[in-house]
Amino acid sequence: MNTTDEKTIRGKIRAFILASIHVPDLADDDNLFESGIVNSLFAVQLMTFLEKTFGIEVGPDDLEIANFQSIAAAAGFVVRKPAQPAQPATA
Amino acid sequence: MTSCLTDAQQTRQREFREFVARHLEPFAAEWDRAEKIPDATIARIAEAGYLGSTLPERFGGQGWDTVTFGLLNEAFGRASAALTDLLTVQAMVSMTLLKWGSDAQKSRWLPQLARGEIIGAFAMTEPGAGSDLQSLATRFTESAGGAFRLDGTKTWISYGQTAGVFVVIGHAGPLPVACIVPRDAAGVKIEPITGMLGYRAAGLATVTFTDVEIAATDVIGKPGAALNYIAPVGLQYGRISTACSALGLLRGCFEEATARAATRKIGSGTVGDFGMIRSMLARMGTDMHAAALLCLAACRATDERLPEAFTKTLMAKFFASRAAVRAASDAVQIWGAAGCHEDAPVARYYRDAKILELIEGSTQIHEELLGRAFIETAPKPAR
Repeated sequence: MNTTDEKTIRGKIRAFILASIHVPDLADDDNLFESGIVNSLFAVQLMTFLEKTFGIEVGPDDLEIANFQSIAAAAGFVVRKPAQPAQPATA
Repeated sequence: MTSCLTDAQQTRQREFREFVARHLEPFAAEWDRAEKIPDATIARIAEAGYLGSTLPERFGGQGWDTVTFGLLNEAFGRASAALTDLLTVQAMVSMTLLKWGSDAQKSRWLPQLARGEIIGAFAMTEPGAGSDLQSLATRFTESAGGAFRLDGTKTWISYGQTAGVFVVIGHAGPLPVACIVPRDAAGVKIEPITGMLGYRAAGLATVTFTDVEIAATDVIGKPGAALNYIAPVGLQYGRISTACSALGLLRGCFEEATARAATRKIGSGTVGDFGMIRSMLARMGTDMHAAALLCLAACRATDERLPEAFTKTLMAKFFASRAAVRAASDAVQIWGAAGCHEDAPVARYYRDAKILELIEGSTQIHEELLGRAFIETAPKPAR
């Protein structure tokens, strides 16, 4: 994936986050979890959004907070992760 | 709700309801009194494939969608919420391992869970920590090579009496950790809990872990991920199951109450001739249909892997469990003194309904999560 793709991915992730939590804006590197701006459901909702939107499957080896802690981190994770064929819910 | 289902889902729904009417409902009161589901009944449910309903066929499961899983729970809920809780815990453990288990963990446990050869239990609640998972006192102490020693007490664990494997959640230092513990692991002690208000047949237990050796290969996912990623998957299925169980109980209340209102003679008329009774039935029937739509929306969003599936499921569980409590109270009221006897199904519904409001997150936890979510997703003023 090229940088344009990653920029597009960041934009989609930002739009999802801003629709999910009550903050005026977010920088790409703002830490979502340290800032306390997200609720306890947000982590799994963001993960589900990434899986659904970008056709990836988050697995047990991906469970590093560093993969999801910011818009930039999540976009980088998506870029590195190969797309998966569609599967049933949480399969 | 039936008109919103596919042909395959409708066929399954008929199959589930026939199974329940034949094999479960006639015996539910007996199980409630005995505070136990017979092994033969669990074996029959396993044989029907119902304990592996959500697992893919490659692991020996049925591979049914979440809507069908919801229909199964609704059908069971009409007979016994305590028995439906078996589907709840099995799905919680199965789906947690399906999503987050290693290949070795999946190979070892999922086929057994799918076939119902083993029952899973989700061990989160503690004597000092219920809905507040940050307060869990169960400790993982790291030993060599990524292994741990586990110490802690879990209580009110559904089907803890019969479970062959536990998913246990605690902390290693500040990090929340989830692991698999077989029932026969050294240091596991299981004490049955009896005398419950409701869910009397759900085999509740207190499970104590004392210096239990946890191999690195029995840790689920990675340390640090248990509360944000691992538990929510299990809880999602637990809440769907509980919401649909509440819907089934609601249907039971509605059917029992309307039948009573139509047939119970008072003077020259029936109970249903009184406007106040018809008001109760109007609320009950409308609640039932509203709960059905919320459950369906939650199941469909889960099938479509939508991020909003989690809040839709919270809404379904929150509404259906509270509506079930109201319905059970009114059903007993309509039945009168006869509804207060242990032989009356509405008496058991009344006791079981209250438990629905407490498990998989209390009503108050649901209000906190939903209220916060609604504020956070409120339209923002234009800048």
